[in-house]
Amino acid sequence: MIGGPAVQADERGPTGSAPLCVVEASHVSRVFPMPAGPVTAVADVSLRIAPGDHLAIRGPSGCGKSTLLHMLGCVEAPTAGTLLFQGKDVSILSDRQRSLLRLRQIGFVFQRFFLLPMLTAWENVELPQSEAAVSKAERRKRTGELLDYVGLGARADHRPSELSGGEMQRVAIARALANRPGLLLADEPTGELDRATGEQIAALLDRVNADGTALVIVTHDPALAERSTRVLTMRDGHIESEAGHA
Amino acid sequence: MLVAAGAVRAAENPASVLISRQLAEGEHLSVGDTVRLAAAADGSGAREFRIAGVYEPTPDPVKLGAVIREVRLHLPDLLELTRQPGMPAGSEYVRNINVALVDPNDARAFARDVGARMPGIAARPASGAAGSTGPFVVLERFHLAIAIVTIIASTVFLLALTLMLVDERRPTVGVLRLIGLPTRRILVQLFIEGVLIATAGSLFGLVLALGAEGIINRFFQWRYDTALVFVRVTPEVAAVCVAIAVPLGVSATVVAAWALLRRNGLSLARR
Amino acid sequence: MNAMGFAWRSLVRQPARASLGVLGVAAVGALLFDMLLLSQGLVISMRGLLERTGFDLRVTATDALPGQGPLIPDAITRADAIAHLPSVRSAIALRFANAVVQKEGRRGQYTSFQGVAGTNTHPWTMLRGRDIANGPEIVINENTSRRTQLQPGDRVVVRASCSDNKQALPPMTFTVSGVAEFPFDTPNGATVATSIDMLAAACGGNELDAADVIMVASRENASTDAAAVDVAQLLPELNVLSNAEAVSRFERGGFTYFRQISTVLTTVTLSFAVLLITVLLTVSVNQRLGEIAALRALGFSRWRVVADVLCESVLIVGGGGLLSLPLGALLAAGLDRILKRIPGIPAEVHFFVFEPSALRVHLLLLVATAIIAALYPIRIVARLPIAATLRDEVIG
Repeated sequence: MIGGPAVQADERGPTGSAPLCVVEASHVSRVFPMPAGPVTAVADVSLRIAPGDHLAIRGPSGCGKSTLLHMLGCVEAPTAGTLLFQGKDVSILSDRQRSLLRLRQIGFVFQRFFLLPMLTAWENVELPQSEAAVSKAERRKRTGELLDYVGLGARADHRPSELSGGEMQRVAIARALANRPGLLLADEPTGELDRATGEQIAALLDRVNADGTALVIVTHDPALAERSTRVLTMRDGHIESEAGHA
Repeated sequence: MLVAAGAVRAAENPASVLISRQLAEGEHLSVGDTVRLAAAADGSGAREFRIAGVYEPTPDPVKLGAVIREVRLHLPDLLELTRQPGMPAGSEYVRNINVALVDPNDARAFARDVGARMPGIAARPASGAAGSTGPFVVLERFHLAIAIVTIIASTVFLLALTLMLVDERRPTVGVLRLIGLPTRRILVQLFIEGVLIATAGSLFGLVLALGAEGIINRFFQWRYDTALVFVRVTPEVAAVCVAIAVPLGVSATVVAAWALLRRNGLSLARR
Repeated sequence: MNAMGFAWRSLVRQPARASLGVLGVAAVGALLFDMLLLSQGLVISMRGLLERTGFDLRVTATDALPGQGPLIPDAITRADAIAHLPSVRSAIALRFANAVVQKEGRRGQYTSFQGVAGTNTHPWTMLRGRDIANGPEIVINENTSRRTQLQPGDRVVVRASCSDNKQALPPMTFTVSGVAEFPFDTPNGATVATSIDMLAAACGGNELDAADVIMVASRENASTDAAAVDVAQLLPELNVLSNAEAVSRFERGGFTYFRQISTVLTTVTLSFAVLLITVLLTVSVNQRLGEIAALRALGFSRWRVVADVLCESVLIVGGGGLLSLPLGALLAAGLDRILKRIPGIPAEVHFFVFEPSALRVHLLLLVATAIIAALYPIRIVARLPIAATLRDEVIG
C-alpha cells in the first residue's frame, strides 16, 4: 500500500472506538523576536487533523499559514500552546526524536521541490528509506512502486535537471511518501507550476489522500483549496474561518 | 680559553679585555672582574686580564644556535698570549686586516691596488661577500623553491575559490546574457572586480607579512639569543609579491568567468 | 546512502571545484610532508653516517669537534692503550691537514689530507687498487682521481699545509696505491689519505705522535656508554664524544635552522590548508542551505547532515593527502639536491629522510586539518533554522 498506515489498530483512543488524531494543536502561537519588535506569525490557533483528513490552509501572504504548517510538521516549535502528535507532546521530544518523527511519520512537499541535484530520481526517493534503515530489498521494491505510482517509472535514472517542473514535484511527492508517513504536508505544491501541471499534481495529491494519508496543503490557489474536505482561512495569524466540503 | 674567572687576585695593572654578553652571563662575570686566559688546552701560560667591558657580538648566521663565548684583546696581548714558546717576537701573523675607506666606492680599486703592490695578499671588497657565500646562495635557492610550491598551491586554491564565487553569480550573469549584454561586457566587469579584489588582497597580505615579520624576528631572536634579522620585507620583496599576486588573482577570476560565460544564458539563469 | 557516499556525490556534483580542492591540498600536503621529513632528516642522516663508519666514540683534546681543536699529543700510544680496553674492539688515531697534489705535467689539485694510525681498520672503503701499506703511499678518492688523472700505481707530489702557521713545507712524493670512498666526502671534495707517520713527515716532521681525533669502536657485547666510561677513566684529560652526543651538538648548532624552518613552514601550510578548506566547504554549504533544510525537514537528523559535511572534508583532505605523498617524495628529492650544495655537507648526508613516524604525523595532521576545517561549516548546518531557511529559499 502506497499511502501511510499512520494509525495502527492499537493506536485508537482511550475509548478504543475512535482513532487518535494525527496532530492536535491547542492554542498554539509562534512569535518571532525582531529588532523592530516581536512579530506574531501564528496566534492562538487550535486544530485537529484526523487520519485521512484532507485539509487546505489558505490566506494572504504573511498570514502565518506556512509557519503553522511548519509547526504541524514539527519543524518549528510553538512559543505557546501544546502540540500533540499521535497523542505525544512534541515539546518534550529531543531534536533527534523530532527528526525521527519527521522521517517516519511525516512527509514534506515543498514549493521549490528541493530535490538533490546530484542524485537521480530513484536515489532521491530511496534516500529517506536508507536513512530510516530500511533493508536494501525493501527499498528497491518500495522505490520502484512509488515511482510507478507517480508515473515516473521510466524516468528513474534521470537527474532533476533532466526533468520538468511537474516531474520534479512528482518525484518530491514520491520521496515524501517513502517511509509511509501518516501525514503529508505540502507547502504551495503547485506554486511554481503552470495550471495544467498544477492540476496533475493536485490530482496526485488527492489520490495519496484517498489511499489513507492525511494531507494538509498550504495554498493561495482557490482551485486547489476547493479539492480539500476542510478549508481553513487564516488572516493575521488567526484562523478566520473553517469550511467543510463533502 | 678562559682558565679562571671572578675573584682572582689581580696582578698589577693587568691588560684589559672585552667579553661577549653571553660569556658574561654564562660565567657570571662583570666589568672590573679579573680573568685568566690561556691559549693552551691544558691552561699553561695563562695570563691575567681585567674585564673592561661587555659587548654584544655581531650577529653571525653561520653561528646560529651557538652560544657566542668570545673575548676581545688588544692585538699585542693576543699575539703575546698565542706565541709559541721559543719563537721570537715579530714572527706572529694575522689572518685578516679590515680596512675602512674614506670613500667606500673605492673598494674595488683599492683591492686591486693592494693585490698589485703586495703579492700573496688577497684583498676583497666586503660588500657582496654575504651573497657570494656558499650556504646563503643555497638557502636562497631553497627558499625560492618553497616559495614556488606555495604559490602553486595558492593558485590552485585561488582558482577553486574564484570558481565558487563566480558560480554564485550564475543566475545574475544568466539574466544579463538573456537581456542582451555581450559576453565581453560581462567579462570586463568581472575583470575589474578581479583587479580590485586582487589588489586589496595583496595589500592586506603585505600588512599581514609585515606583522608576521615582527613576530617571527622577535621569536627567533629570543629563541637563539641573537640580534640577527631572520625575515625582512624589503620594498623589492613587496613589489615582487604584489607583481605575482595581482596578476594571479585577476587571471583566476578571468579563467573562472570565462568558463562560466561559455554556457548559454538560459542554462545559467535556470535554477 | 551513507554519509560518505552522500559526500562523494556532493563533491562529484562540482568536479572542477572538488578537483581543485584536492589538488590544492595535495600541493600543500606535499610541502607539509617534506617539512616533516626535514625536521629530523639531517639528524637521522648524520647519525646513520656516523654509525656506518663503524666507530661509535670520538676522543679529542678538548670539547671542540674533531678537526676544530688542538691536537692530541702521544695519540698513537693512547690509541693503542684504548684499543686494549676490554670494551673496545678497535681504536685508530686520525689527523687532518690539507694538501696540493700534483701529477707530473698537470696542474695541482687542492685536497683534504688525512693520516691514520692504529689497527688495520681504516675509515674508508677501497674501490680500486689496494689499501696503503707502510711507506709513502696514498689512497685518493674518485674526484681526485678524475681531476688529476691519477690511477693506482701513479706517482704524485704532495705539498702539505698542516697548521695555521705559514710554512713552506718541502713536497713529498707518494705512490697512489688505490682509489677509495671516504664517508664524509662532500660531493665535489677531493681527498687523499696516508699513514699518520707519512702525514707527519709531509707536515715537516713535527708533532709526530699527534692526532686530531682517536676513533673508537666498542665491542658488540659492550655498550657504547660502557666503552665511553672506560676510555674516560683511562684518559681523564681527554674528551670522549659518542655518536649520539655528536649528533646532539650538530642539532643544537647549524642543524637547528632546518628544524626551525620546518616548524614555521609546517604551521604556515597547515593554517593555509585549514583556512582554504574551511572557505571551500563554507561556500559549498551556503550554496546548498535550502537542500540541507529540506533534508532536515524530511527527517534527517542534525548529526547526519553534520556527518555529511565532515565526510566532504575528509574526502577532500584525504584525496589530497594521498596525492601529496608521491608529490612530496618528488619535491623532497628536488629540495634535497638543492640543499646538498651547501659547502661542507658530506655526499652521504641527506636533508630529507623518510621515517615511518613522519608518515604517521602527516596522517594525524591531515586528519586534524579535515576536522578543524569542517568545524565552521558544521556549525552552520548544525544550527540551521529549518523553517526560516525554507522561507528564505522561497523568497530568494
